[in-house]
Amino acid sequence: MKILEATGIEKHFGGVTALAGANLQAERGKITGLLGANGSGKSTMTKIISGVHAADAGEVWFDGRVVKYASPHDAKRDGIAVVYQNLSLVANLTVWQNIVLGNERKDKLFVDDHHAREVSRHIVEELLPGLDIERQVSGLSPGELQIVEIAKAISEEPKLLILDEPTAALELAQVKSLFSHMRRLAQRGIAIVFTSHRLWEVMDICDDTVIFRNGENVASVDLDKDGRDTEKIIGYITGEMEKSRAAVKKQTSPEQESVLEIKGLSHGGALHDISFRLRRGEILGVGGLAGQGQRELMLALAGFYPDLTGDAILNGKRTRLTRPKYAIKNNILLVPGDRELEGLFLQHSVYSNIVFPKLSEPKEPLFMPRSKYREECRETVDALSIKIGGLNLPVRTLSGGNQQKVVVGKWLSFNTEVLLLSDPAKGVDVGAKRDLYEYIVNRVRESKMSVILYASDNEELVDYCDRVMIMYEGRIVEVLEGDEIQADRIIESSMHVEDKPERK
Amino acid sequence: MESNTQGTSRKFRQLFAKPEYSSILMLVVMIVLAAILQRNFFRPSSLILTIDAFSPLILLTMGQAVVMLSGSFDLSSGAALSLYTCVLTWIMKTGEPFSGVVALLVTLAVAILVGIINGFGAGYMRVSSVVVTFATAYVWLGIGLFIRPTPGGDSVNWFNAFYDFRNVEGAPQIFQNLGAFLPPVLLLVLLACGIWYVISRTRLGRYIYAVGGNEESAYRSGINTARVQIAAYVINSIFVFLAALFFVGQNQSGDARFGDPFTLRTIAAAVVGGIALTGGKGSVYTALVGAVIISLVNKVIFFANISYAYGTLVAGLIVIVAIAGPQIYQIYNKRSAEIKRSPA
Amino acid sequence: MSPRTQTLLAEFYDRNKKIITALLAIVLVFILGQVVVSGFLTIHQVLITMKLASFIALFGLCQMLVMSAGGAGLDLSVGYTATITAIFTASVMNGANSNLWLAILIAIGIGLVVGLANGLLSAYVKLPSLVVTLAMSQILQGTINVYTAGRLISGKPSPVLQILAAKASGIIPNIVLLLLTVTVVVMVILYRTKLGATLFGVGENETAAYLSGINTRRVRTIAFTMSGIIASLIGLLLIGNMGVAFKDMGSDYVLPSIAAAVVGGVSLRGGNGNYVGVVLGAILLQTVLNLLVALGWGDAGKWTGFGIVLYVLLMAYVGNRRKR
Repeated sequence: MKILEATGIEKHFGGVTALAGANLQAERGKITGLLGANGSGKSTMTKIISGVHAADAGEVWFDGRVVKYASPHDAKRDGIAVVYQNLSLVANLTVWQNIVLGNERKDKLFVDDHHAREVSRHIVEELLPGLDIERQVSGLSPGELQIVEIAKAISEEPKLLILDEPTAALELAQVKSLFSHMRRLAQRGIAIVFTSHRLWEVMDICDDTVIFRNGENVASVDLDKDGRDTEKIIGYITGEMEKSRAAVKKQTSPEQESVLEIKGLSHGGALHDISFRLRRGEILGVGGLAGQGQRELMLALAGFYPDLTGDAILNGKRTRLTRPKYAIKNNILLVPGDRELEGLFLQHSVYSNIVFPKLSEPKEPLFMPRSKYREECRETVDALSIKIGGLNLPVRTLSGGNQQKVVVGKWLSFNTEVLLLSDPAKGVDVGAKRDLYEYIVNRVRESKMSVILYASDNEELVDYCDRVMIMYEGRIVEVLEGDEIQADRIIESSMHVEDKPERK
Repeated sequence: MESNTQGTSRKFRQLFAKPEYSSILMLVVMIVLAAILQRNFFRPSSLILTIDAFSPLILLTMGQAVVMLSGSFDLSSGAALSLYTCVLTWIMKTGEPFSGVVALLVTLAVAILVGIINGFGAGYMRVSSVVVTFATAYVWLGIGLFIRPTPGGDSVNWFNAFYDFRNVEGAPQIFQNLGAFLPPVLLLVLLACGIWYVISRTRLGRYIYAVGGNEESAYRSGINTARVQIAAYVINSIFVFLAALFFVGQNQSGDARFGDPFTLRTIAAAVVGGIALTGGKGSVYTALVGAVIISLVNKVIFFANISYAYGTLVAGLIVIVAIAGPQIYQIYNKRSAEIKRSPA
Repeated sequence: MSPRTQTLLAEFYDRNKKIITALLAIVLVFILGQVVVSGFLTIHQVLITMKLASFIALFGLCQMLVMSAGGAGLDLSVGYTATITAIFTASVMNGANSNLWLAILIAIGIGLVVGLANGLLSAYVKLPSLVVTLAMSQILQGTINVYTAGRLISGKPSPVLQILAAKASGIIPNIVLLLLTVTVVVMVILYRTKLGATLFGVGENETAAYLSGINTRRVRTIAFTMSGIIASLIGLLLIGNMGVAFKDMGSDYVLPSIAAAVVGGVSLRGGNGNYVGVVLGAILLQTVLNLLVALGWGDAGKWTGFGIVLYVLLMAYVGNRRKR
């Protein structure tokens, strides 16, 4: 029974069209997958349905009537709940306070804390037993935060539950637990819309799936009836049939010599006694479940942590990694994991972004040589096939994939010894992803650049890496080589459990 | 499972790490210092004078604390205080007791309007609160100057009840007796505490913390963050209004400029009292304690016989120390905590 | 018009919208003033307005520097920094040119100390700069109080300063010429050199700048230090203009300097800053002030008017209410 029907939805942001007449349906008791590349409009669609944005054209029909929400609050009141990627939790409040936030029951004039605690306890027991609801949310791990976020959405007993990439920070066990809870909710008659980049998840949990591309939905697949044809669905997403991935596989031939040796690297609670060798011309992967310290390792190698302890030996020379400046001087360059927060100046032009790292180089002149820099910028744009409207347009107007190319591109003119890639393809469409990796592999082959690659998608590790280090709770627990690098082997190793320390 | 004694000592240390408890500790230290320097500190008559002197800052700090909890600042507190005294003494006519009632109600309305204007700019239009209230401070000053170019104005007799019960002519004997040991301003402070107690138990109270903690998250949770911030500013205005009542009761006149020095000290006092500069953390009651501490520090310095000319200079230094201190302490703490967490 | 030209024009308008608006507003206020008070719109008036506005614009440069550096930077101590320099150097110069170099040195020294303190506390200890600089201004005010307690402020500015600040070359006041020079120099540094690009980067995204190898805390501290030094040097101009130093010389400039920066399009969050806009903003504000004075509204009117104007401008320019 249909509960949601959005038809002909259009949405423009400034000059950019996010949605060009898109449709979406959801039925009670069914889990609908929402697939699509970055910039395809699926995120905008869910935001319109949940009241964050107003549609420029089109109609949303929900639970018996046409609706036009003035705010997320109105949508919530109508029974639409959303679980966000960017969390909606408040750090200094407790778990139970967050779960009922915005939705508190009143006892005459005052908040009914007793009821709130009851409800929270009940939901948390189902999702993550053992989590203390009196804890301040600021002390939780990313996985626990996501669970609280989900609990919050569920606590409102919605008619429609929208999950926007909820599994990014979750461990496999938590994903399974979430999925079984989702099935229970569906059985209770709740309609669920589930967006994800991870195809296997959509295949696993969804009853049907809708694929968005360029602001429209291009296909609707009933997974139960039509079966789960991964290749076809990928084709819908990218708009072309995927070329054989094997073409880019294993073209690198690393040398025996070490370019970088790391011993006993430690930082706070995130990294413990990390040691490894990076060979010249090698692509060394970093894998493991999300949030095990991989991002921190990349930042540490880039010199982000002033209190980093341990030894780093680059080409035989001891190197300090307590400041990004030192790392850069030694040509250890980072493509950070969160491009908006760490890699880009969103309001500044493409030109300014690409040129910026030169500013810390003393050898570059005080008066910037405009034409020379612009020339180099254009070369970068060409080399990486960055689609831009013009060098002077602000970088925020670019799609995710092209933004990521800018983040990589700004190091292009540098003589890179070690390139640190922190989840470079996250949120990047398939085409841009291919461009990026093609470029990187070529660089490695031609100039014997060495790469450390952290990827949250195991397929990337399988496709490109010569060796893969698996991290667990801030330590390296296994290193896979050659034929060992297979998706299932990686997953198995990621779940490595020795003495799991007691959680408070 | 940790052994019992280990758990207890850790709990003990955690207790003192909380800013609320360290501020109470500071309070005790300051009271002892003050009592040593001012021999008759604990005598009722001088205690009353002390309470009278401290209470305005206490009220203003409590108001500032509410605003800071919601994630903003109010740099127009002092100017607003001055404005309210001007409005009060402008509407009141000596010898007409009813004009006092009118003045009170009108000024209260003005206070609420002030709060709404501040809150609108900072909360609804989302302009940096420091710049908005910096601008509105001048507006309050200007209006105050319009009404009261020079200090003065009228007051009615019963208004003196806000300062000293004994000063009200024709009051029943019970007031005279009360006045001997109960400064009315204490009741104003209690009223403020009462107002906050009620509010903190409602959804608004929870939302003030939420909006201050993470405005984006609060909005996504369906909270009308603009309304919450406006409410915080209005609560602040009311507390400032109470302080204005006290001042007019004490001086029977209004002055457009006297409130300026208060503003900065309220922020310092709130921080000393455990309110986080970034918002969402702290308690209005300990902010009250912070105000007492700052006032005691000033008192101690005064009694250490430093010349008056140094007053402003020292006040400024105190503010810097008061807000820099905890921050530096935190940075130092975080660093040593990280070192401790390195593997054994 | 090709779509590409359209986009470029749109971007130009978007980026410089505030400056264009400021220019239009100035013209408007002058016309309004002429309607209300005759003799408002004359060459003489315009020049006087520009002369007075120059001081605001120079203080506005201080604000722009700290604002551009990001982290909600503001410098409320510029007024008293200028004042304290004027007071201290008055007796050193004593009406002669011989000690001017010493006065300049002292000014730079004072500005350096104040600015460095502001910068360290804001960038390294991470205190809100608003509170730090406000407290600093109180400390400076207090120091002035101590210094001048029971003592007359003596001394006069060197004639060079007087010529620079108070006099004119032909009909154009010298300080306006100084401002023009400063504007050109500032714009070149901001938009053609590494320094400006670095400043904007740090203000726009401190983490990204840090990861690109910039010592971001040092950059922000330098911004505050420069602000202090510039404010201090303006103090020399102030005493040059007034002929004497007195206790509240600079405090009236703080609010207008911030307002000018805001009107000129400098973002409170940091990452951008067009000094031409700030100068226009200063002129606009001075024009409005003149109008208020011409209407006979004195002190009260001045502050109310200014406050309201700034409030309205903030709502219009910086206002960022949740769009859907």
